[in-house]
Amino acid sequence: MGLNYYKIKKNVLKARKLVIKGTTAAASGHPGGSFSMAEIMGCLFNKYLRFDPKNPLWEDRDRLILSKGHASPGLFSNLAVAGYFDPSEIETLRKFGSRLQGHPDLKCPGVEFCGGSLGLGLSYSIGNALAAKLDGKNYRIYTIIGDGESDEGQVWEAAMAAAKFKVDNMTVFVDRNFIQQDSYTEKIMPLDETLEGNDLSEMWKDASRWKLSDKWRAFGWNVIDIDGHRIEQIDHAIKKANQTKGVPSIIIARTIKGKGVEHMEDNPQWHGKAPKPEMAPIINAELESQFMIAPSIIAGDMSNLENEVKRCAEGRADYIHLDVMDGIFVPNTTFDHTKIKQLRPLTVIPFDTHLMINEPVKHIRDYVDAGCDIVTVHTEVCDESSFGEIKDVLQQNQVGVGLAINPDTNLPQWSHKFIADLDQLIVMSVVPGKSGQKYIESSHEKTQNLVKILKDNKFEGTIEADGGVTLDNVGQCFVDGARAFVGGSAIIGQKDVRGIIREFRNVILKSRRKLLIQKANELGGTELVNNWINLHVIGEKKNQLIQIAKELGFN
Amino acid sequence: MTNQMADMRTEYGKALIEIGKENPNIVVLGADTTDSLKTAGFGKQFPDRFFNVGIAEANLVTIAAGLAYAGKIAFASTYAIFLPGRCVDQIRNQIGYPTRNDNKGLNVKLVTSHGGLTVGADGGSHQQLEDIAIMRAIPNISVLIPADAISVSKLTWIISQQYGPFYMRMTRSETPVIHSESQEFEIGKGITLRDGSDCTIAACGITVKMALDAAESLKKEGISCRVLDMFSIKPIDKELLEKAARETGGIVACEEHNIMAGFGSAVAEVVSETYPVPIRRIGTQDKFGESARDNEIPLLLEKHGITSINIAKKVKEIRSKS
Repeated sequence: MGLNYYKIKKNVLKARKLVIKGTTAAASGHPGGSFSMAEIMGCLFNKYLRFDPKNPLWEDRDRLILSKGHASPGLFSNLAVAGYFDPSEIETLRKFGSRLQGHPDLKCPGVEFCGGSLGLGLSYSIGNALAAKLDGKNYRIYTIIGDGESDEGQVWEAAMAAAKFKVDNMTVFVDRNFIQQDSYTEKIMPLDETLEGNDLSEMWKDASRWKLSDKWRAFGWNVIDIDGHRIEQIDHAIKKANQTKGVPSIIIARTIKGKGVEHMEDNPQWHGKAPKPEMAPIINAELESQFMIAPSIIAGDMSNLENEVKRCAEGRADYIHLDVMDGIFVPNTTFDHTKIKQLRPLTVIPFDTHLMINEPVKHIRDYVDAGCDIVTVHTEVCDESSFGEIKDVLQQNQVGVGLAINPDTNLPQWSHKFIADLDQLIVMSVVPGKSGQKYIESSHEKTQNLVKILKDNKFEGTIEADGGVTLDNVGQCFVDGARAFVGGSAIIGQKDVRGIIREFRNVILKSRRKLLIQKANELGGTELVNNWINLHVIGEKKNQLIQIAKELGFN
Repeated sequence: MTNQMADMRTEYGKALIEIGKENPNIVVLGADTTDSLKTAGFGKQFPDRFFNVGIAEANLVTIAAGLAYAGKIAFASTYAIFLPGRCVDQIRNQIGYPTRNDNKGLNVKLVTSHGGLTVGADGGSHQQLEDIAIMRAIPNISVLIPADAISVSKLTWIISQQYGPFYMRMTRSETPVIHSESQEFEIGKGITLRDGSDCTIAACGITVKMALDAAESLKKEGISCRVLDMFSIKPIDKELLEKAARETGGIVACEEHNIMAGFGSAVAEVVSETYPVPIRRIGTQDKFGESARDNEIPLLLEKHGITSINIAKKVKEIRSKS
């Protein structure tokens, strides 16, 4: 089984947009903590939780307990996406007569716990877990607690009790976003170490300062530390937690409050404040333009691909791009599924496998079995029937569905019916077959034109730019509409993979900020541009935005 | 009525085991007081359905809520001083508040012991005199203060069968047996123990015996008192109170609790809205208690005016004003 990465990503985006819609309509609520746990919720709702929105009280359903109840918009939005109620109901959030109360309430189908008063959800979860055991049921309890609420003594009463009663049918997350209502957690009540100054990134960098995991370990828990915005890490942690017997498991998910919206990120002000309505379209545009970096390991040392995978992991790559070449469809030969299978245990980072092979339909199952998370095949070697089969196999196995087109190919007519199902479209900007080629300039225009066709055909996936992508052109590739970027020699060919990936991100980020400034200008002229820039109070963001605005001709 | 004494906690523990045999959904939780509360016997009989969470009452209440949400009937017990006051948030938000369709609140039974001044030697810090006030202010929660061990046994059965959150307070020491084994109990219905026409004494818990004693002594002075055991404080028997007001012209309300927002207040609320008559409240007069050894407890009660003599005095006071 693949990661189901794309379905999770898509639904996380939908849920985040609903949080903005709901809190904006309510003019209050808690977007910050809803966004820090967005990927955790996404993984649970789209992969792990067993539930039936038509029968919310199905007795064998898994129970999701949101202990940090103020993040209710994050829960309600996922319930809406999952089909418990129509997404338009999110606009009733916090309003008189609504089922969507300010804090989660049993009035709302799918809600299992009345949250609001903090520090209670873990005890309540233990009660549910003990009942499941008494009844011989195998449903599981998933619980999300906050780091701020861990100030509550009852959390630690529950921690002891869960260990005593060997509650192993419950998986707990701490949404460790480092921010509570008044300020940073480490200033208000340190869980790790006292924060000196205001720079949260210091806490992130220095793992030796993290004491929260030690606390839970000392209470007898199985503790798993992850980056709480990485779907593959969340997935892997849940798997490990769910397999652990005899002791309770907790996943310490380091997250960013307000994740996904730059001006909200790491900003305590966005703990409990709604965006202004005029900002919502800009925020949505920002949420829609998340991007991924995918180093292509064939640009590295082909004799030691294991090491290249490790370099990608250390470099914080979003995907690892695996170019499979068969010497027939393209002149070169690289490796096949057997190699991918060998590489798979080295990392949980999604494998973005690009099959440059003839008759991919004959081999598709091998790549699923090898552990790929997305498999992209070429239009040039598929037709409606074979691609239909490929798509079905991939979807059944929770593997992303990708289609690629060569520089001299356009999307064939038969492919249009599949566009809505595509998770990824690779637009080749070099002739495939070997690494180190130069970007074909006409690919920019080609991508821009494709965006329109894709939109008309309800594309919900990601365009991946592949071939000759460098620091010089990646910004324009983003503007064209690409959101995933394969870097061969430009990334994996560099000594400091982590450093170069960071540089790629910064260039793309600048490009995205330009788009958002332009969007703000379209919607509300200079005034809105200024107001939007002024929201970015944390770190250097504001000065950087002012600089970009100047470059765009704003004063 | 004989002079027989009986222990409420023993009856509670026995009833739990009997109920536990009949109903596999019964679970019992304790907080390091399970020997004292006599729930440990249930634990021996049904170890899988018994959870001692240690000295962690907030956790006790909330785990009970979780068990109840998942379909269990959860009895959570410890001393009165450690539940309503200490855990009012957990009780309110996790037991009283959660409501789905017709199930108002979760199916948790909070049964405490050591209510009121009669805790004695442990002193004022341990004498719960505010539990009625706290618990009856929370929607969906029923409040019971049984008068004797037979009431405890019967009410334990009833609340195990009736959906919803209940609070029931027991007394530390043995109490006189008031009711016969054949007495029927119904939540929301008071019991008329003695009829009378001149005044009504409405009582709960240990004050029921005092009320009967007061009525007996007043009879000798030619005053006919009606005595009500109002073990069901919430819901309260409005009809019975209104009838008593109408027929006897005055009510003395008795409780081992602060007169502020307690049982007497509940009686006054009903009577003032239905058939206003003079009311007097017996109970602690907005003051805390203090230590008293068992043989000194009558002195402690006397200090706070919770005696049959004071009840009789208040009856006469009402009659002289009417």
